[in-house]
Amino acid sequence: MEPVDLTAALGPVLGDRLLGVEAFPRSAGRIRFERSGALDLFRAVRDSLGFRHLSMVGGIDWTDHREVFYVVWSDDRREYLFLSTDVPADDPHVESASGIWPSANWHEREAWELVGIEFDHHPDLRHLLTPDGYEFRPLLRSFKLHEPEELEVKTRHV
Amino acid sequence: MSAPASSAPATRPVVPPGATLESPAPLPMVDQPAVPFIEIETLRSKEFIPAAKEALGSLIVEQGQTKVVRPVFNWAGRNSLFPLHWGLACCAIEFAAAFGARWDAERFGVVPRSSPRQCDVMIVNGTVTWKVAHKLITLYEQMPEPKWVIAMGNCATGGGPFRTAYSVVPGVDKLVPVDVYIAGCPPRPEAMLDGILELEKLIRERKE
Amino acid sequence: MSEMWINMGPQHPMTHGLWNLRVLIDGEMIVDVDPEMGYLHRGIEKISEDRHYNEVITLMDRCCYVAGFAWEHLYIIASEEALHLEPPERAQYLRVLCDEFQRIASHLMWYAAFVQDLGLMSPFLYGMRDRDLVLDLFQSYTGARMTYEYMRVGGVRSDLPPGFTDHARKVLDWLTDRFVEYDQLCLGSDIFRKRCDDLGTLKATDCVTHGVTGPMLRSAGQKRDLRKDRPYAVYDQLEFDVALADSADVTGRYLVRMEEMRQSVRLLRQVLDWLDRHPGPVLADRLPRWLGAPYAPVGKEGYLLKRNYPKGVGFSAVEEPHGEAQAYVVNEGGEHPYRVKFRSPVFANISAARQYLVGYHVADIPPIMGSVDVCVGEVDR
Repeated sequence: MEPVDLTAALGPVLGDRLLGVEAFPRSAGRIRFERSGALDLFRAVRDSLGFRHLSMVGGIDWTDHREVFYVVWSDDRREYLFLSTDVPADDPHVESASGIWPSANWHEREAWELVGIEFDHHPDLRHLLTPDGYEFRPLLRSFKLHEPEELEVKTRHV
Repeated sequence: MSAPASSAPATRPVVPPGATLESPAPLPMVDQPAVPFIEIETLRSKEFIPAAKEALGSLIVEQGQTKVVRPVFNWAGRNSLFPLHWGLACCAIEFAAAFGARWDAERFGVVPRSSPRQCDVMIVNGTVTWKVAHKLITLYEQMPEPKWVIAMGNCATGGGPFRTAYSVVPGVDKLVPVDVYIAGCPPRPEAMLDGILELEKLIRERKE
Repeated sequence: MSEMWINMGPQHPMTHGLWNLRVLIDGEMIVDVDPEMGYLHRGIEKISEDRHYNEVITLMDRCCYVAGFAWEHLYIIASEEALHLEPPERAQYLRVLCDEFQRIASHLMWYAAFVQDLGLMSPFLYGMRDRDLVLDLFQSYTGARMTYEYMRVGGVRSDLPPGFTDHARKVLDWLTDRFVEYDQLCLGSDIFRKRCDDLGTLKATDCVTHGVTGPMLRSAGQKRDLRKDRPYAVYDQLEFDVALADSADVTGRYLVRMEEMRQSVRLLRQVLDWLDRHPGPVLADRLPRWLGAPYAPVGKEGYLLKRNYPKGVGFSAVEEPHGEAQAYVVNEGGEHPYRVKFRSPVFANISAARQYLVGYHVADIPPIMGSVDVCVGEVDR
């Protein structure tokens, strides 16, 4: 599946919320979209394009904004597809994909606690890897690693 | 184990005034306690327990309870070390390999038990995180005395390659007292057995 | 009867690692489960941002400690893509050699632990014995049993020692005979069959919905193997079949893993033959100096590369012994990766625990979770 085909298939659904489709290594391409069109895009990708398997959800902190990316796989096409959206750092909200792909549940919990992405309408947004009540977002660039003695207060279980 | 009160003979040694209660020369540490020779037929007979009682009783009276009973306990304890059966991280695989066919740690009397109440050694075989720290302390406190801790591998010793991580305890000795440290990332099964033997040496020299 | 939550873990013989399975039970029946992870969360993704590209390999070995080579390979493919490097062909074959031997070692470790959970003690001894033979091979060319640090960005660290391939073939012959014994021990045992048949069933559609991959998915009859679907390294030049079963239960997962080991032996024989015939370099020869290559260009060019290294992203997906692992490496120029993200197959397989545990008995949990083959290191990272 080429980026041109993806644009043709998703353009009518998303309109100007589709920001672009670019080539991406080892996959059909990367779709950049406006976060307001998240659910429409997810449904279109799953139902009309056949990407029924969600492999991972992750976040990247670009200091001025954060990026949320999704990797999906289609068993018919034997291809990966990247979906990516930008959220502002002071309002990192995006609609949860776990209603479309149930496997997004844990990946979103992880992205929430490590990168600080808020997933709206997530069924179960709890701490997964860090202890309950852990208030830091370790994968943000502002979180610096120090010698453990200095960090002990920061990391102790609360 | 204690000497029966009725068997206390009248020739109880009197401590001279001014002398300390402890013997000035330490008793050499031996594998077997210095019990009198008992015929093998006696061991099989019904008189064994009374005979042993009598022999040990007089010895205890002569040399003090600690010096006779302690080596027996140490000898028994160090040859039947029961480590806690749990795997934290990579070292747990080498820990398991030590119980496999090639190394067979059970020939040293080391048998992993799944309940902390049956254990006397906690082998911390992996990275300890702050999230598991209080559970580790709970398990340690559930183990009956006497108990020992072996820090297996670099992570348990000092954080290892994850020392700078935000979630890792830099060494399990921040949480519980550690008796033996085993270096390696992960230590080979031989190194783990060496750590067990080191611990046995410690137990042999245990006094109180 | 009233329901209650019980904790199976973090210290429990069933868990094979450090995690907590919270189970809601009604009598003996499982009503709900809630796996609690993170007891081994070591922040590998964060530490990686502080390290050189080759230093991250150290963490990869420890990330999944029963399949270190597979994770090294995963990370290496992604970083080579991010850094625009191409490894020599012999290095590709060596990586496949590592991967497939690692698959055998990992499955033997799984076999030893899983069958012991069912109460059969001797398979543990047999499994560990044969796994040690494979680890001896690893030791002969990497120096380590579990944490190898063998692959490098741009190739592998060193070539095989003389006489390796003959020794490896002997090990493969030995293993081929042992696989027959394993099947006799397990499939011939009524106890094994009664404890494993029709247990922990997860159909293929549910697998796809909940992100389950690897032997669990293939045991449900779905033919999906990244080595065939998206071939990496040199898998497209080698012959093998995808192991499949159709029962979707614990026995099916056992059969798939056993067949995968046989296919790995088949792959390894081809790889060993190729390696015998094609000597050559094992590391790319124009690496930037900070990648630590022994014969990298030093001096002006090395520094130039360091300053002006092009940005890039790398994505890789490999068929790990547990399932489908993915890595995403972002290179923003400079010596450290900007962001590294991993997808662990066991992470997704455990997250679907509710689907294959609810409705069974408490005593079924050890065989079912054993058949998932949990490696907590890669779940928590």
